[in-house]
Amino acid sequence: MKEEKGHQVDRRKFLVGMGIAGAAATATLASPVLAAAGDRCETKWDQEHEVVIIGSGFAGLAAAIQAKRLGAKDVVIFEKMAVFGGNSAFNGGMFAVPESPLQKKEGIKDSPEAMAADQAKAGRGIANKEQLLHVAKRAKEALQMTLDAGSEYFPYLQQLGGHSVPRTYQTTNAVGAGITQPLLNECKKLGVRLVNRAMFNSLIFDDKGKVVGAKIREGYYFGRGKEGSPINVRSQRGVLVATGGFARNVGLRSAQDPTLTAEVGSTNPPNATGEGLLELFHVGAVPVHMAHIQTGPWASADEDGFGYVSNYSIYNFAHSISVYPKTGRRFMNEIADRKTRSDAQLQCRDDTGNPLPPVTITSYEHAKEHPTMKKVLKYGVGWKFDSVEELAKHHNIPLKALKEQIEEYNGYVKKGVDEQFGKPMAKAKGKYLKAPFVTVRNWPKVHYCQGGALTDVNARVIDSTTWKPIPGLYAAGEVAGGMHGVSRLGSCSIPDCMVMGMTAAETMMKS
Amino acid sequence: MMPYKKLMFAVLLVFIACTVQAEETLKQYDGIKGRSYHSDFYDGQSCDSCHDSKKPLNLPADDACLACHDLDDLIKSTSRAGDEKWQNPHNNIHYGKDVPCMECHGEHESRKPLCQGCHTFKYEKFNQ
Ligand SMILES: Cc1cc2nc3c(=O)[nH]c(=O)nc-3n(C[C@H](O)[C@H](O)[C@H](O)COP(=O)(O)OP(=O)(O)OC[C@H]3O[C@@H](n4cnc5c(N)ncnc54)[C@H](O)[C@@H]3O)c2cc1C
Repeated sequence: MKEEKGHQVDRRKFLVGMGIAGAAATATLASPVLAAAGDRCETKWDQEHEVVIIGSGFAGLAAAIQAKRLGAKDVVIFEKMAVFGGNSAFNGGMFAVPESPLQKKEGIKDSPEAMAADQAKAGRGIANKEQLLHVAKRAKEALQMTLDAGSEYFPYLQQLGGHSVPRTYQTTNAVGAGITQPLLNECKKLGVRLVNRAMFNSLIFDDKGKVVGAKIREGYYFGRGKEGSPINVRSQRGVLVATGGFARNVGLRSAQDPTLTAEVGSTNPPNATGEGLLELFHVGAVPVHMAHIQTGPWASADEDGFGYVSNYSIYNFAHSISVYPKTGRRFMNEIADRKTRSDAQLQCRDDTGNPLPPVTITSYEHAKEHPTMKKVLKYGVGWKFDSVEELAKHHNIPLKALKEQIEEYNGYVKKGVDEQFGKPMAKAKGKYLKAPFVTVRNWPKVHYCQGGALTDVNARVIDSTTWKPIPGLYAAGEVAGGMHGVSRLGSCSIPDCMVMGMTAAETMMKS
Repeated sequence: MMPYKKLMFAVLLVFIACTVQAEETLKQYDGIKGRSYHSDFYDGQSCDSCHDSKKPLNLPADDACLACHDLDDLIKSTSRAGDEKWQNPHNNIHYGKDVPCMECHGEHESRKPLCQGCHTFKYEKFNQ
């Protein structure tokens, strides 16, 4: 029997998180095959659960915890990878929250409306304002869920590109795992069943067109040619698809945007291949904004993936200048929204048209405030210079022009107004550029998919033929599309994923 | 793109170094490759030390290694100091203690550590 399945069950994991509810679930599992009347083609069920969630990122984890809190007895998360957490475990740990405790402490005036308005602006007229406001209003609750689970944040806020005020928290280890690990522990405590190497293939409908389960391949070994064996999993309260984006699916992304070929790097881990999204389209979900695929302007030309430079640059851009090495002049507002900056960076080319990554210059004194600076220098993806002469020589920038640019910029710091590119100077207050300097070289990478399946504000997936919710089918997180429009602001995915995951659980528990 | 070339060169050196090391522990036994430190398993009837049956057709369970290897000992033996603390593969920043052994370790084939999908950390003692 086990031989046929092609894999063996992890005895340790099987016991993970088995509270009383877990034990009850196992009893159900032990019954050989559950047959259900009324299901299409007389589906033979191998398992049954109350709430079935696909994907273990922020959206899936927040949904599982919320479902448990609302009284669900039996919640399961199926994850295709060997490890849990998806993109979320790799993320930069930055979390935008309006009217947060830290804003109160720092005396910063903000509101959910102001945050949603900043996002809508970056969305360039096509964002889903109702969803943005829904998320902004409940971001504080989501933050509290992470704090309750044990997440820790720096005691200060950051002001990221496109945000009108500082409202971004960051985990003290500067990584999303500072949230996913505590949430996973919370799931285990609450008795959520966590199943890895379990690939969601397709949805199962009853004869009334309601989603009543999912076909899962157990013992799926990503990237090893072991496809696993299919089981039919029945769900009493429908299925939540929280499978993340498709930044790593080169075929799918370059079909939307032909510039995003295999030659363009990505910040995402290998899991971001989007089959879950394709299954939603397969059953009739509405595709939205699929071509709006975001590249990250803070990525580095000198390392793979998100690396160290990304977080370093995100923190430092507000009080740094980025210059085009050929002229020594700035070429953008360093904290404009992502699309504006990526587009500007992609214009930085040498005489033969090859990329000439811009150089971002920060005073050592300010760069050292963030722990990533040490890593950037240690792993050779950033440089420290005692003088502007040394810096200009190393990066092959015309010295005179660079000196003038620095002086001019310091004038803007003094005035509090950037006359060159209109950068908001609040976070640069008193932060003059002076030696010693630290530099990095930025170049954009495929980072985030604004597009996905259309959902309503209750996380229900909308049917493209009836324009009504598909009964029993929910989606949350990056797999859902349209909330952010053309460009998602930094630190706005965590609140999106967490709040929509919580919302999905609430809708499911009412069903 | 000098730094990139340098990086690739460094990656190549690490690769060569590891391949040399791998040759030291990945040995050809009767019909299958295996690790020299597990030579006891290759007597033709001990596949079930890790696999569910004596004639394995499938991969062992994710926790099979832990039947003999103690996770806390492993964590200790690969611990790192200071700002490298969370680069400990057995207790790391992204996944804590939950990375299945087989994601990095290959008993019958060489594998590279999971972290090297993105990072350039060196794991000197790792047998590729
Ligand atoms: C490097 C990086 C840094 C980032 N930094 C930030 C930041 O600081 N702040 C911010 O707000 N946003 C940030 N983002 C964006 C944000 O992290 C993601 O949008 C978010 O993590 C998506 O969460 P999710 O739950 O929707 O999906 P994910 O976290 O990707 O989780 C989806 C999970 O579903 C699994 N899965 C997929 N398909 C299947 C299937 N068919 N069957 C079973 N399982 C499946 C995947 O393996 C994955 O584990 C960052 C993104 C990256 C890549």
